[in-house]
Amino acid sequence: MLAVPYMGFSQGTVRGKIVSMENEPLIGASIRVLGSGVGSITDTEGNFQLYDIQVSSKLVCSYVGYTSDTVPVQFDVDLVITLHENEEKLDEVLIKGNTTMIDELQPIHSELITEKELLKAACCNLSESFETNASVDVSIADAVSGTKMIRMLGLDGRYVLISREGIPHIRGLNSQMGLNYVPGTWIQSIDVGKGAGSVLYGYESMTGQINLGFKRPENSEKWYLNGYINSFGRLEFNVNHATKLSDKWSTAVLLHGNYLGNEVDGNDDGFMDLPKSRQVNLLNRYKFQGDKMVAQIGINYMIDDKAGGQLGYRFGDDLMTSDVYGYKNTAERLEVFGKMGLLFPHKPYKGWGLQYSFAYQDQDGGAGRRIHQGTEKTVYANLIYQNIIGNTMHQYKTGVSYLYDGYDERYISKLRENVDSTYTRNESVPGLYYEYNYIPNEDLTVVAGFRMDFNSLYGTYYTPRLHMRYGLNEHFTLRASAGKGYRTPNALMENMQLMLSSRQLIVQEIPRPEIAWNYGGSLVSNFTVSERDLSIVADYFYTNFENQLIYDQDQNSQSLVIYNLKGKSFAHSFQLESQYELSDGLDIKAAYKYYNVQTTTNGQLQQVPYVSRDRFFVNLAYATKHEKWQADFTWVWNGAKRLPDTFDRPVEYQQRETSPDFMLINAQVSRGFRWGNIYVGAENLLDFKQNNPIIDAQNPFGSNFDASMVWGPVAGRVIYTGIRYKIKQK
Amino acid sequence: MRKFVIVLLLLAGCVTANAQVESVKIKTSAICGMCKEAIERDLTFEMGIKKVDLDLETKEVTVAYVAKKTDAEKIRKRITMIGYNADSLQRDPKVYAALPDCCKDGAHQDDH
Repeated sequence: MLAVPYMGFSQGTVRGKIVSMENEPLIGASIRVLGSGVGSITDTEGNFQLYDIQVSSKLVCSYVGYTSDTVPVQFDVDLVITLHENEEKLDEVLIKGNTTMIDELQPIHSELITEKELLKAACCNLSESFETNASVDVSIADAVSGTKMIRMLGLDGRYVLISREGIPHIRGLNSQMGLNYVPGTWIQSIDVGKGAGSVLYGYESMTGQINLGFKRPENSEKWYLNGYINSFGRLEFNVNHATKLSDKWSTAVLLHGNYLGNEVDGNDDGFMDLPKSRQVNLLNRYKFQGDKMVAQIGINYMIDDKAGGQLGYRFGDDLMTSDVYGYKNTAERLEVFGKMGLLFPHKPYKGWGLQYSFAYQDQDGGAGRRIHQGTEKTVYANLIYQNIIGNTMHQYKTGVSYLYDGYDERYISKLRENVDSTYTRNESVPGLYYEYNYIPNEDLTVVAGFRMDFNSLYGTYYTPRLHMRYGLNEHFTLRASAGKGYRTPNALMENMQLMLSSRQLIVQEIPRPEIAWNYGGSLVSNFTVSERDLSIVADYFYTNFENQLIYDQDQNSQSLVIYNLKGKSFAHSFQLESQYELSDGLDIKAAYKYYNVQTTTNGQLQQVPYVSRDRFFVNLAYATKHEKWQADFTWVWNGAKRLPDTFDRPVEYQQRETSPDFMLINAQVSRGFRWGNIYVGAENLLDFKQNNPIIDAQNPFGSNFDASMVWGPVAGRVIYTGIRYKIKQK
Repeated sequence: MRKFVIVLLLLAGCVTANAQVESVKIKTSAICGMCKEAIERDLTFEMGIKKVDLDLETKEVTVAYVAKKTDAEKIRKRITMIGYNADSLQRDPKVYAALPDCCKDGAHQDDH
């Protein structure tokens, strides 16, 4: 047995009561010993008792509609634990933690990445926030745009529903570049859910959901300043300010800017390894906290400009007439978003919530002699009602939602083809949903949800989802999920990297909505070994597409053919992850992942290109008391990836059938002070680079040029340093 | 090789000279876990301080510090500046007034 229960002298009985802010007892609240399966539920007076509890244990108290709290065990006193109403997320029960942790009570297999964990990757935006997380893979899209993409369960990040505080956020024209539009210092926490998601947030999630929590007006630092510089010459600055305006109102202003003016060409191929870039991003949000109502409203404006490609291409140069091969992408986005909640102080399980957002985005990009322009208008609203049936064993959430997406796009090409075409798509989708939670006891939770959406272009969507959580005993928790997902593909914006080649774009048919089923489960186990917590998590997920938009690079090296799936497309994903505290302050996290992702391309079922079948991940994290010193080390090994055939090209422009395997190391050290900290770090410490990532870089307008066949890093080692300065709220 | 050894010895000398760590026990007015956390956290980042441990039973904080960089008096002064008495030194009343309720005199009396 791995389990070494610590049967010592330091055990006792814990008694207490869980109450609301108004001192009302919370009936049926859950109380659980962190890291074990031991737990109980409060009685009709809000009281609970736990026996044989270790002295150093922590108790996690949670209740629907309230923010969970973690408190240390005390034996001799009757604990009175006050839970605060969770107006932010009526529907989520999260455990506050130090770094990444698997949520013990959620029916959906999910990991919470806290701010502390996010600090381990100092740079720069959301795409880098997952570098110390094993479940989300980060890779480079191509050799020109510098875009980092994520993958979950072996599939592209566009199959993940990325939301900001419950509102779908990175999608549409943004689905590929959008990660770069979320500054890292704005994020307070990230919740990564694997597999089918809740019906509350729509029909779009297929492989998982990533929910971002932004810095909040009521609990952020009064001032937070951050400056960053790296060895490429990239500069970043951030100013966050939060303040209380009155008893009920508070506000936060988040300002971000970044700039890279240098032309970085480490491999001397005449192409910038990553584009020059500049961005200004401003968010202002307000919060109102009343006794029976909470409300939030925010506004976000962002402008981002990139200029890359061959050396000498400048911001604003006309792509079509430029002497050199240029790459540009200019995005401007304005969004107003908010939520309102009606609370019932005496019935914490009951509530009304409304979430909404209005967004407008303007996009102007392209590469070489190809231009893609587009605008997107999005309206989103979601009205949620939650209540119980009789008692808190039966809870439900139901509501109506509305989504409008209006796209106007234009594609101009003078390379290979002579095209100037416009596309308009207006999608209007009212929908309704119902989700039933059955919680007969603390060990079992079953969540069954169903939604119906009436898409003005593609007809009715029926989306069933099912989740189950079962605590086998104090060491093991089992989860299972199944569900269907839909999404409308955006052929051009989702694969901008494919414009970075001389391949002819052939759209064979009108894209239809993508439809996939996802099934999976996980086993989470927690043990105490040598008085330290060990957790082992195994999960398996299977995604099967009924329809998928295929980007076929396999037919020949001169074309990219886009069509709806003909045949099969599926992804098997298996992950084994373990975390252990080696000694005081030193934690290790190790993971192995296996992906079998196959799609029918060129009439043949084959491995999806650019995806490693095997992947290893190790993260070592060290921190002294109060984070005076912190050190982090991440090692990732990527197995070989299949590459599309290039055998119809002249010999000198051919590529191998598979990429070599390679490893990447990131490391960071930081020193804390009373006022904040200073950090120094390196990404890609081994300076590993793909040889000749651009095929025929000398003739970018010729017929063999291809900058999209990238399987590894293009830019080499980056050394960075930065400073964070904080002034806390009084 | 010989030079290398000399350099090593010199380095070792430096380290030992720096590592003249002294220890002091200071009686504070801390009363709860929050006070303990606040004092330990603040002193951790004080120049010259190597280790801090506050015992809530005795209310004494044990501080290990580098004698060349700081001294017991400076540490006591620092503790008063964050709102707690340190031995005979009185806390800064303004900072004390802004402490959370649970860290104030008379809190937690109902607990026992």
